[in-house]
Amino acid sequence: MAEEPREKGGKEGDELSPTARQMQAAVPYISAVWKMVGGAVVGVLGGLLMDRWLGTKPWGLVGLSVVGIVVGFYGFLHEMTRLGKKK
Amino acid sequence: MRKAMVLIASLFAASVYAASAAPAEGAEHGKEDVAGYILHHVADSHEYEFEVPLSHDHVAIHLPEIYIPFHEGACTPTMTDHGNVVPGITQGCLDLSITKHTVMMWVATALLLATIFIWSNRDKSKLVPRGAGANLFEMLVLFVRDELAIKNIGKEEGPRYVPFLLTAFFFILFMNLLGLFPWMATATGNIAVTCALAICTFIVTQIAGIRAAGLGGYLKHLTGGVHPLLWPIMIPVEILGLFTKPFALTMRLFANMLAGHIVIFFLLGLIFLMGSAAVGLVAVPFAMGIYFLELFVAFVQAYVFTMLSALFIGMSVAMGHHHDHGDHGADLGHGHAEGGASHDHGRAHM
Repeated sequence: MAEEPREKGGKEGDELSPTARQMQAAVPYISAVWKMVGGAVVGVLGGLLMDRWLGTKPWGLVGLSVVGIVVGFYGFLHEMTRLGKKK
Repeated sequence: MRKAMVLIASLFAASVYAASAAPAEGAEHGKEDVAGYILHHVADSHEYEFEVPLSHDHVAIHLPEIYIPFHEGACTPTMTDHGNVVPGITQGCLDLSITKHTVMMWVATALLLATIFIWSNRDKSKLVPRGAGANLFEMLVLFVRDELAIKNIGKEEGPRYVPFLLTAFFFILFMNLLGLFPWMATATGNIAVTCALAICTFIVTQIAGIRAAGLGGYLKHLTGGVHPLLWPIMIPVEILGLFTKPFALTMRLFANMLAGHIVIFFLLGLIFLMGSAAVGLVAVPFAMGIYFLELFVAFVQAYVFTMLSALFIGMSVAMGHHHDHGDHGADLGHGHAEGGASHDHGRAHM
């Protein structure tokens, strides 16, 4: 029996295992959380590097940490709002 | 079955012998030698060292040391407490030496190739392969294809990544199993090896993402979907996020394989730490139990690495398909979150 033609990314998820489905479903949420955490991490690391290179200790760390946290939080809210709208 | 049990018991006995030969000498120098012996045996080295059976003689094969300096004098060794230490890559010296674990990877590769050629070489006129080896091999190959690739990536995209997943599975399995043989070492107990394996998965995952979303969609994903003014922060965040999965793969395989071997060595080391052969009555059966567990762990870790690789590839493909349709993955989360029926609904417009 000929297999039904399948559009790209169409019913592909049907044969996925429950773990794979749940993980794929969690991707946008993991991404949103990572934006919040990663923003702080990148801010702190960027601040430390800036202080080391430019000798601005501790202002580079303080400034970029705050920027990183704010951007990370904004990214998180942005993603969650988009997910909420889709729902 | 009985033959297999006898073989495993013999392997364990030989391993115990190989492990116990040196501490018997080391115990004279102090209890701390046991810890030093264990760390020496699980660590990588420039020498392939093994004990000659039924004697206390050690044979050490010095492996070639290859250093490539990026600038004049970058690889000049300096004398430290640990002997002559050659500078690392950060000092401009690239170490491409052949080490014990490199040899183990070569041995695993050679055994794997031999196994594949022997078991896959069958009478093509007969549909059903004959022999335990060929059937076992086919069962494992089908398991990786049907249960790992297709179940985690999908029926359409899954088969494309089966060759990579099969290579990873069997290579890791053979390296794990080799470490259980006497006078051998576990290459997967080396973080550099697991890191290289995880880098392979990382590259395949990114290729899968680019294939699914297109280069534009992939690069767009790296911006995090925020205003361009925020890109200087968001792009590093997304790039950093790409490395969390291979980092988890690296640490998990490395820690699991290393821990099992250390536990076996320490259980046997108790005999020398306590200074009494009677401790062996408890320590050896326990060590044997862990050894059997390690046999199981060798398969489990190969399975888990391959399964996670397939899962990450599947996530990357799914993410790519969302970008392909400009919805940044939100609908899939919605569809799946509401169960199978809405899953179809969530993807219906794709």
